Amino acid sequence: MDTFLQQLINGLTVGSLYALVALGYTMVYGVMKLINFAHGDMVAFSAYVGLTIFTQFYGSNALSLVNIVIVFSLTAIVVAFIGVLLERLAYRPLRTAPRLSAVVSALGASLVIQNGIMLIWGPNMEIFPANVFPSTSWNFGGVIISFTQVVILALSAVLMISLYIFINKTKIGTAIRATAIDQSAAKLMGINVNRIIMTIFIVGSMLGAIGGLFIGIYYRGLTFDMGWLYGLNAFIAAIIGGIGSIPGAMLGGLLLGLFNAMISGYISTEWAETFTFILLIIILIVRPTGLLGEKTAEKV
Amino acid sequence: MDTKNTSIATLFIVVMALFPFVVDSAWLSIGITFLVFAVVAFSQDIILGRAGIFNMGHAIFFGMGAYTTAILNVHFGLEIVATIPFAILVPVVFSILLAGPIIHLRGDYLLVATIGFNIIFEQVLSNDIFGLTGGPNGIFGIDVVRVFGYELWSDIAIYYIAFGLLIITLFVIRNLDTSKYGRALYYINKDEIAAKSMGINISYYKLFAFALGAAIAGAAGSVFAIQYSAVSPESFNFMQSVMFFAIVLVGGSASLPGILIGTFVMFVLPELFTEFKESRYLIFGAAMVLTMILRPNGVWPAKFGNIPKFLKKKVVNKSEEK
Repeated sequence: MDTFLQQLINGLTVGSLYALVALGYTMVYGVMKLINFAHGDMVAFSAYVGLTIFTQFYGSNALSLVNIVIVFSLTAIVVAFIGVLLERLAYRPLRTAPRLSAVVSALGASLVIQNGIMLIWGPNMEIFPANVFPSTSWNFGGVIISFTQVVILALSAVLMISLYIFINKTKIGTAIRATAIDQSAAKLMGINVNRIIMTIFIVGSMLGAIGGLFIGIYYRGLTFDMGWLYGLNAFIAAIIGGIGSIPGAMLGGLLLGLFNAMISGYISTEWAETFTFILLIIILIVRPTGLLGEKTAEKV
Repeated sequence: MDTKNTSIATLFIVVMALFPFVVDSAWLSIGITFLVFAVVAFSQDIILGRAGIFNMGHAIFFGMGAYTTAILNVHFGLEIVATIPFAILVPVVFSILLAGPIIHLRGDYLLVATIGFNIIFEQVLSNDIFGLTGGPNGIFGIDVVRVFGYELWSDIAIYYIAFGLLIITLFVIRNLDTSKYGRALYYINKDEIAAKSMGINISYYKLFAFALGAAIAGAAGSVFAIQYSAVSPESFNFMQSVMFFAIVLVGGSASLPGILIGTFVMFVLPELFTEFKESRYLIFGAAMVLTMILRPNGVWPAKFGNIPKFLKKKVVNKSEEK
């Protein structure tokens, strides 16, 4: 029972990281029908940016709350800027091109970011400092929860709830949903589609940046090609929840995190990815639209 | 076909056939690499370019061919020549088993599912399943090719094996293009719903494309195993699949010269400019983005099946007369 509860906590923590990253995938897919392969590498990039800001400004000193907020927002702003740049340079010129061209462009952009990281920070593993958050942890009858985990769970919950409110209650959110349903109709209603897509890349990149920072703080080891792994997992989370659906990405992330934790806790860590992808393929065969995705007829 | 294309094709084949006599051994092995990867790219083109299936796991079939040859030769002592039929058959069987359940999925979902298969394949190889695949280091010490008692160990012999395979592949593609199967695939690629309503069995033809692509990739894998006399998982990882996927689309779907250019750029240029090896993928990535922006249909797009310009003009004139 202790193992189960421990894996539950670990799974939820990892799951919220997946969910944060998955939101970026699902929002872009929802509006542009494009798998943004570069998103995973943006996440890796943000972990590196965060690391650099930490070590440059704060050395090895313990951080106060204000400093943490500064580092997080600075990283988010830098990554959002890169996200907008990515959309401008690699995706906007291809909006009317065949779909596969955009996929290749996304793959190319992903290679550029990944190898850009390698050229800037080097091919060796970088280690995140251990003292970003206090190393306090609580022990509830054998189940250990660290301070970092609590921060990750709490901040992810806050971010996801605010995103949900932003999408469903604000004017821009309504415009985003309208653009996702029908781009040309949205344009006729006076929505600036270019600006909506830019907003999506800003919001998605910021969420990804915070996810990337948390990944750095939680796992600590950073490699330049780690974006593929987290990106793929997050993308699977988005599909499990139903790609294009924002609550779906949140649910899918948490479920995938739990699934991963249970597999590595009870069955095997060597085959963990295999189980993840078998789950993905089963879901694709049984319910390709995911858990919360709506079934829509393909347009002719 | 017009004479210009025929003469370019003839020139290419003659140059490739004489290539081993004018170069040293380093260039020769680059030549073998080019031929093998060109064959794999052509087989990926049958699936992705001709049938329009978003397959991003093509390294699986390439790897299955290589590993089948390696396992049968090293663990079971079969002659290399005798392993080649298995190296073709095993990928075909797996392509049907794997693609069968997902063949009805639409584009992006199928793409993600094939990525999944490739990651599972990598894990199967590096976890040394049943003690056959040799784990992360792969399998060493694959025998030389023996035909009727002759040992074909020289690079020149291997070059001509690969060259022969390329010629066979081109021949298969030419026949495919002019057959019922090729036309069905072309139609499915252009408009799936229309093809379906004309009575074309979509899943059947798509699986056919998968199986044919897997067979050719498997044969290429076998030659790859012969060339290096070793196989290891990283030659068949997800990144390789991305490369094959990109070659077809950057070169031009269903365009033979385009795919040769794509293979050359992705696999041969990096061998020539080793000083750029560090930033190799950075340049590739940027080139992929740029090519797609400037030429969304690839560097050398195929012309097959497009409506000729003079026909289009006539139609416009008639409607103006009314």
